[in-house]
Amino acid sequence: MTAIKTVGLSKYYGNVKALDKLDLEVPENVVFGFLGPNGAGKTTTVKLLTGFSHPTHGSAQVAGETVAGGNIRLQSKIGLLPDVPAFYDWMNGREFLKFVGELHRLPVTDIKKRSEELLETVDLKKAANRRIGGYSRGMRQRLGIAQALMNNPSVLFMDEPTSALDPIGRREVLELISRLRQSATIFMSTHILSDVERVCDMVGVIDKGRLITVSTVSALRKKYARAIFEIEFMENATPFMETLKKVPWLADPTITVEQGNPVLRVRALDVDFARREFPKLITGNGLTLMRYEMSAPSLEDIFVEIMNSENSR
Amino acid sequence: MTGLMALLKKEILEQWRTYKLLIVGGIFLFFGITTPLMLKYLPQIIELAGSSGMEINIPPPTAVESLVEYAGTVGQLGVLIAVLMMMGSIANELRHGTAVMTLSKPVSRAAFVNAKFIASSLTFLVSLILASVFCYGYTVWLIGDADIMAFAGQNLLVGMFLVFCLAITLLFSSLFKNSLAGGGIAFAVLVGQAGLSAIPRFGDYFPGKLLNWGNVLLTSDSKSYWWALIITVALIALCLYLAQYFLSKRDI
Repeated sequence: MTAIKTVGLSKYYGNVKALDKLDLEVPENVVFGFLGPNGAGKTTTVKLLTGFSHPTHGSAQVAGETVAGGNIRLQSKIGLLPDVPAFYDWMNGREFLKFVGELHRLPVTDIKKRSEELLETVDLKKAANRRIGGYSRGMRQRLGIAQALMNNPSVLFMDEPTSALDPIGRREVLELISRLRQSATIFMSTHILSDVERVCDMVGVIDKGRLITVSTVSALRKKYARAIFEIEFMENATPFMETLKKVPWLADPTITVEQGNPVLRVRALDVDFARREFPKLITGNGLTLMRYEMSAPSLEDIFVEIMNSENSR
Repeated sequence: MTGLMALLKKEILEQWRTYKLLIVGGIFLFFGITTPLMLKYLPQIIELAGSSGMEINIPPPTAVESLVEYAGTVGQLGVLIAVLMMMGSIANELRHGTAVMTLSKPVSRAAFVNAKFIASSLTFLVSLILASVFCYGYTVWLIGDADIMAFAGQNLLVGMFLVFCLAITLLFSSLFKNSLAGGGIAFAVLVGQAGLSAIPRFGDYFPGKLLNWGNVLLTSDSKSYWWALIITVALIALCLYLAQYFLSKRDI
């Protein structure tokens, strides 16, 4: 089943294409990371998918509902954590969750129970009776997460969910997001790649309003795999360089000196083949290994590569 | 109007917690009490201030004068308070992002707008009732008896006019993210209609005429301005409809 589907979804402001013909399908119960640099169109997409912005062209469906401003059935099925969650500062945390529960027309007993659960989950129980006006940014972010979960949404939109959190808060929120995938689809827009790497099943990369790629994280790694072998030898490796230059499944061999030791780096063109054959090649040349490792590209490397290739078009 | 009750509850609580009810009630009450006091003791006040040997003859105040004076002050000052109180009601929520938090829940735009309007109207009407009770009491005590039904009718008309001011300001608050812009335009519109309502005959159809009608009730004049009342009610409904319409059409 598809949790989010867009067809040609576009938003133009005059000549500026904030979002251009977005065709996207997000399956149910996945954590979808929507990646892109600042100003790429991430927040515009979230606003369009939650009915807060009207598309210039195209359409969207979320949780089986057509997205349109004021679609009550859609709003009862989704949760939204905006990029900067704002609250009525005169309320306290517990009152705000009660207010949200009332807006969702939950029974009074359920509101109380759910509020306490969520306050516990986001670690705000001790501050629940304090005015929100006195909350730190991290506390507001956590309260924002709690209010978005009040109705057990089937699709949860989170715009930069970890941006205001300290490392511990970030880890807890990411763990929470991981757990939520069992009951909800999470659409998480972010530019923090380590978060995506940690919790997302799928990623979409957007730049200048255009969707560049959509893939699972593992498929993306495979697609952009540029495995680099890093090797240290007991012996001088310079003569071996000449041998490597002639090997068809390797490329770009270089030697750098790190902490007094020469380190050889070479890129594998055929990763699986290189994994099998490279150790044989080394021993065949009579060299003694001190260190041998293959470094896979991080999501950050992949992201930068995607952006660079997009910008060079 | 999905979510109206929850939103109304929140808006009423907000009126109390942010001291709006206290401020509006306090100002109205101040004029409700001081108007008959000032009229009664004006000769003594002038005497105490020193009249430099000049003899000033002030006729003794009448109850009608006191009540008309009070209604005039509350009507004029009420416009300013209505604009100041209402100009940020939607605009500030749009600017600060609280509107997104609320409207992402299953609530209609109409409920969002109407809850604000009803809560603010209640604040004004409660304040007006409180002030008018004190004004009437002090007037009867210090100056003399007055027709209570006519005074109640006058207050109803003043209340209706102030509710109209709230609706106009709410409409412009939904159009701008800057509360000053919304408030400024609303104030200009209200001043404009006040000017138009002063035009003989033509002005009889404007909401501003309700204040005159209130005074007419007290002076036992038989002239009435039903069209002004009907048009005011229609304009209030139109403002509320347009506010929720513009809110649903704009990107938030």
